[in-house]
Amino acid sequence: MVAMFNPIYFVVAGLAAAFLLTLFHNRERLSYFIMIIALSLMMLISLAHLASFLAGTGEIVQVFTAGFAPPFSINFQMGPPEALLTAIVSLVGLLSGIYLSEQLRKTGAYAQAVYIVLVMGMNAMILTRDLFNLFVFLEIVSIATVGILFLSRSRTSVNTGFTYMVASGLISVVLLIGIVFAYMNAGSLNIDTLSESLVMAGRGGSIAVLLITLAFLLELKPFPANGWGIDLYTSAPGALSALISAGGMSATYYALAKVLPVGQWSHDSLVAAVGGITFIASQIIALKQDDSRRLLGYSSIGQIGLLLVVLGFSEALGDRRDFIAAGLLITHALSKSILFYISDMVQDDSLRGWAALRRKPVLLVLFGVAAFALIGFPPFPSFFAKWDLILLLNGGTEGYYLLSAMVLAGSLIEAVYLFRWFSYALKLPHEDLPELASPTSRLIAPVTAALVLAGASWYVSTLVSGFSQSFLIPVAFILLVAVIDRLPAWSKNVISIAGVSLYIADLYPRIAGDLMTMIFAGIFLVGAVLTLLSGFYYKGRRAGFYPMALTMFAGLAALIEAATILEFFWGWELMAIGSYFLLIRGKKSMPHGLSYLLFSIGGSYSILYGFSLAAAGAGGVIAMSSLVGISVMPALAYSLMLLGFLTKTASIGVHIWLPGAHGEAVADIHFMASAILLKAGVFGLITVLLAMGSEAGYTRWILLALGWIGVLSALLGNISAAFQESAKRLLAWSSIGQLGYIVWGLASMSHLGWLIALGYSVTHFLYKGILFLAIGGIALKIGTPYMYKMGGLIKRMPYSFFAVLIAIITLSGVPPLVGFSAKWITYNLIISEQLYYQGFVILIAGIIAFLYLFRMIYTVFLGQLKDNLRSVGEISIWFRIPMYLLLIVILVLSFLPNTLLRPIGDMLSGIFPEEAIVWTGSRGVTSLGYFDGAMIMYVIVGIFVILTILFLLLRKQTQKVKQFNIFYSGEAPSRPELSHFSYNFFAHYRKAVGALALPLVTGFWDRVTEIIHAVSDFIRRIYTGNGQTYLFHIVLYVVVVFLVQSGGYR
Amino acid sequence: MSWTLRILYALLTLFIVMNVGLLLNGVTRKIYARVNRRVGIRFYQPYIDLVKNYSLTNLVTHGVMFYLGPIFRLTSGVGLILFIPLIYGSQGFSNFSFSGDAVLILYFLFFGTLGMALGSGESGQPHSAIGVARGLAQVTAAEIPLVLSFLSVFIQYQSLSITEIVGAQQSGILQWTFFTNPLAGVTALLAFLGSMMRSPFDVVLAPQEIPIGPPTEYHGAFLGVLQTNRAIFPVAKTILYVNLFFGGAASWPALIPKAFLLYMWSVVVGTVFPRYRVDQSIRWFLKVPLALGLLSIVCIHFC
Repeated sequence: MVAMFNPIYFVVAGLAAAFLLTLFHNRERLSYFIMIIALSLMMLISLAHLASFLAGTGEIVQVFTAGFAPPFSINFQMGPPEALLTAIVSLVGLLSGIYLSEQLRKTGAYAQAVYIVLVMGMNAMILTRDLFNLFVFLEIVSIATVGILFLSRSRTSVNTGFTYMVASGLISVVLLIGIVFAYMNAGSLNIDTLSESLVMAGRGGSIAVLLITLAFLLELKPFPANGWGIDLYTSAPGALSALISAGGMSATYYALAKVLPVGQWSHDSLVAAVGGITFIASQIIALKQDDSRRLLGYSSIGQIGLLLVVLGFSEALGDRRDFIAAGLLITHALSKSILFYISDMVQDDSLRGWAALRRKPVLLVLFGVAAFALIGFPPFPSFFAKWDLILLLNGGTEGYYLLSAMVLAGSLIEAVYLFRWFSYALKLPHEDLPELASPTSRLIAPVTAALVLAGASWYVSTLVSGFSQSFLIPVAFILLVAVIDRLPAWSKNVISIAGVSLYIADLYPRIAGDLMTMIFAGIFLVGAVLTLLSGFYYKGRRAGFYPMALTMFAGLAALIEAATILEFFWGWELMAIGSYFLLIRGKKSMPHGLSYLLFSIGGSYSILYGFSLAAAGAGGVIAMSSLVGISVMPALAYSLMLLGFLTKTASIGVHIWLPGAHGEAVADIHFMASAILLKAGVFGLITVLLAMGSEAGYTRWILLALGWIGVLSALLGNISAAFQESAKRLLAWSSIGQLGYIVWGLASMSHLGWLIALGYSVTHFLYKGILFLAIGGIALKIGTPYMYKMGGLIKRMPYSFFAVLIAIITLSGVPPLVGFSAKWITYNLIISEQLYYQGFVILIAGIIAFLYLFRMIYTVFLGQLKDNLRSVGEISIWFRIPMYLLLIVILVLSFLPNTLLRPIGDMLSGIFPEEAIVWTGSRGVTSLGYFDGAMIMYVIVGIFVILTILFLLLRKQTQKVKQFNIFYSGEAPSRPELSHFSYNFFAHYRKAVGALALPLVTGFWDRVTEIIHAVSDFIRRIYTGNGQTYLFHIVLYVVVVFLVQSGGYR
Repeated sequence: MSWTLRILYALLTLFIVMNVGLLLNGVTRKIYARVNRRVGIRFYQPYIDLVKNYSLTNLVTHGVMFYLGPIFRLTSGVGLILFIPLIYGSQGFSNFSFSGDAVLILYFLFFGTLGMALGSGESGQPHSAIGVARGLAQVTAAEIPLVLSFLSVFIQYQSLSITEIVGAQQSGILQWTFFTNPLAGVTALLAFLGSMMRSPFDVVLAPQEIPIGPPTEYHGAFLGVLQTNRAIFPVAKTILYVNLFFGGAASWPALIPKAFLLYMWSVVVGTVFPRYRVDQSIRWFLKVPLALGLLSIVCIHFC
């Protein structure tokens, strides 16, 4: 069957179609039809071979022209890599051909012929095993590229095309000289025989290999000799750029891969160095770029740089090299194609112009898919490829630690500009932007590319060991919910709740008995149900909300279920995607959502690096147990993992994303983000700390640092919360503070510390859930989160007031509610573990919490009711239901704190047996002290009730007076604003200790950003736009590389 | 001990403490007046004020929270005194101290503050809010040396139980924490000033400036309840200090003079020094008291 699809037909189809087109040049439709048929045929051939290879039935096909064996003929080879690459090239060729239908038909059959030849040339470059033939097809591709560019007749295309042609010519000279040397020394131009012959060929062979390698490297547009190639992206039509970026680059890359393995003259290290420099430099330069096409150009070159690194490290990557390269290449080719297609539809080339995509949500979705795929998020192939790459670079006998760190740093910079751009599209105003040129016919190409990417993602995930396919089930459910996104919100809400509930029912038997997992599963999944329940308040469609909320919850669930660090990382990344889209839904959330995502990515790369060291120590094993007893740089590995998780708990130093991201999120999302999502960080910390233990010497310093990070987060978070004017930001800062307690408790690595951490994890979920729902609901109801615009709402929202009152008493730790038990354990911990100095700070932080708690409840609910709020009603019943469910749990736990603390304590006794609390009913005793939750409750409630009754008995005449009937110098205030003391509530406190709340950390990160942008601005000055300069760059590049490399031969 | 007996002891405790508190208030005001060359009130004037306020027939309320505010406040005072073991060795006057140790006392101190702040907040009286804002800001600063000194004591005795701490000081005056851990003792005395609502730290109530601060809108029986609490609460706090730093007491005659003298410490300072602004008092607590407190921890840790 496959024999029918002889690879030679690529050339046959291409040339025959090109010939036919010249015959039918005046038949517009027919000629275009012939072109599409020819392109389809190419795709069919490659797909047939690819399918047979994937099915395991394929064999490598060798085709010899004219029936002679090399060196008397040239031969084509169709193996698995060729099948995959020709499939990519043919697919993008066909899609671009379809996309360009209008333009190609307008320019006529000659342009179509050139286009076919271009695609054919790329395919042939992949297939051929003859060096000179490779040169010929490379020339064909260059000339065809320029030809199409000229035919597109844009103003800049002539200049760019000319520069491109001259530069290609120059590179061809280098290649030709190399070929001459090769032939002179080896007597053959067949790549396979050349490889063997040149090994023995002495200096002439070495020069040949170097020049050939150099030529192909130059064709891949390495930094800084790539100005000639970059300009092409800005001048060519988007679909052509897609083909050049996806097809041309793939073909040239493979050509280099073919010629590279030449024994002792192999230039692996050169390729890796060129790739590494290009990758980092391109990403940095792209940072300051405002032209979307040019940015995509830099990004493409950056991706190729990364692929060159993969190629250069073939030895270290072993048999996974091809998997990694394929994963990166597929993602790059398809994502870049999507982006280039979209760039063609957007009429404004600036990044901000892409806000116009909001008029066509499908394009926005495609943009998101491409951006997330490029950065290496799940479920895309690049996710698995990057995972393998980092693990293998760090995992070999000689770990390439710096290189892997650079790869991650470069990816992070790429994430910065891609997601900044994406957030522009999501949030910037688009009313004044030009219309999109996006007829439905133009959507075929990007949509198909996205579908192929999805298919590839699924297939790639099946090739990965240590990854269970069951993790794809939630993804399928999410896709289902995405498909029905047009339905009203309530119906999707019902389906989502049903989905999550089913999942809980399925999960429960598997985790029953494992209390630690149960706690977090409870927070994540019961939290999911509660937040979704509050979602019923929304009337309308709520487009995109449910798929993203479910993505976040699927990620969280994956953390619970992960059996390998890969699965854990999958969950972590999935959660980041979902939460990003939720957080960015707020009106003013653009910079904050972006900041959240970037810190998330930075954090996850840090975790990835730590995981890779763990796997390296475990000899490549990626079970969760590999985190225990890491043998390769354990201090660094654990520190990085902890740092990564600290970004999610928003601990001080990496917290700057949280106040804005949470402060601008809408009500139920705020609940999800704070009460639930932050606990993922806690779960991560627990996972790492359990694995790390505290026996090794280095752990002492790590734990000390972690402890101080915790207490400073608590202190500074609480102080900053007191200075906020927005209730939502106040709560956001409060979360930083609260999570600080948890981090500190964990860092103590003791029974009581972990009891605090786990107890707080639960209670924080409870009271913060209430606070976010109440405050979020109020902000939603009255249209502002600013507390000075509120006041006196107790009269209008008594139920919310009561719930908030209970929540803040719990948070503050005042007896008799459950929060007190945490304070009591804190004192015990401080003394028993001798954590005096950290403990002192944490205690003070707890007291400072009173400031913001009172401020919030007073300025929102008490004081003077504003005129515009006199008729406002209670917050939605759908907020009150989950609020009161949480409230009931708080009250039960307050009466019987042992119901929570005792089982947790029993579980922790297995890990930290010392200093456990001994429980007798509701009375807990340690070696230092005691408390009886139930008794405290009885005494306090008893006194309160008795006093109230006595007071009621005393009462004679009680008169309820109106709002303005207060002691006010004998006058009545004319306006509530005059007597609602609210703005800058703690001015005196700010005057005294405001220095502690200065945004120093924000300043630090701003400075880092400025420096990187300044570097970017500096480097990109080399791109003058002058062709002569670009040619000079190439010549200089050749000379420098030649001198550097040849220096090694002596 | 039976619950009936327990309750009787509790009532007796309250009776004693309230009377001590009322007398202390009266005496203090007399001292203030004499220092200012006035004749001053009769020392039993607080009793008269209390009876008068409870006798007023009309009450004006601004809402439920306003109504409950003073009750929260008094619950805090009564609860505090009942949670503190008052007389060393007396099961009856230990009242409900078996419910929790010193940490319970430390956090229960805030119960009434919070309730009162919320109650006065509902009145819509800006001066109340200003007073509360000042009070909270100041108390967070004053708590710093307080926490340090208490922590130092807990570390010293390796216990959170007040009874155990008092027990460890019973072998003589020189065994009092104030002498065995003088840095903590001095720090605690400085912190004590911040919690007694007297000059130089009385800007929270700031008579005349913001009428009387948080309770501005309270009158009649409401004010009576607050006055009752004002008699109990400071005495309870003082007894706590006596227990932790001055050897506690094995009988009422031993306890009352100690409490009186300690109480007078704040009166003397208040009489001599003028009022601080809130930011000034915050800074004050963050200087010498903080340094002393830290030093006491360092000493107890390493010495």
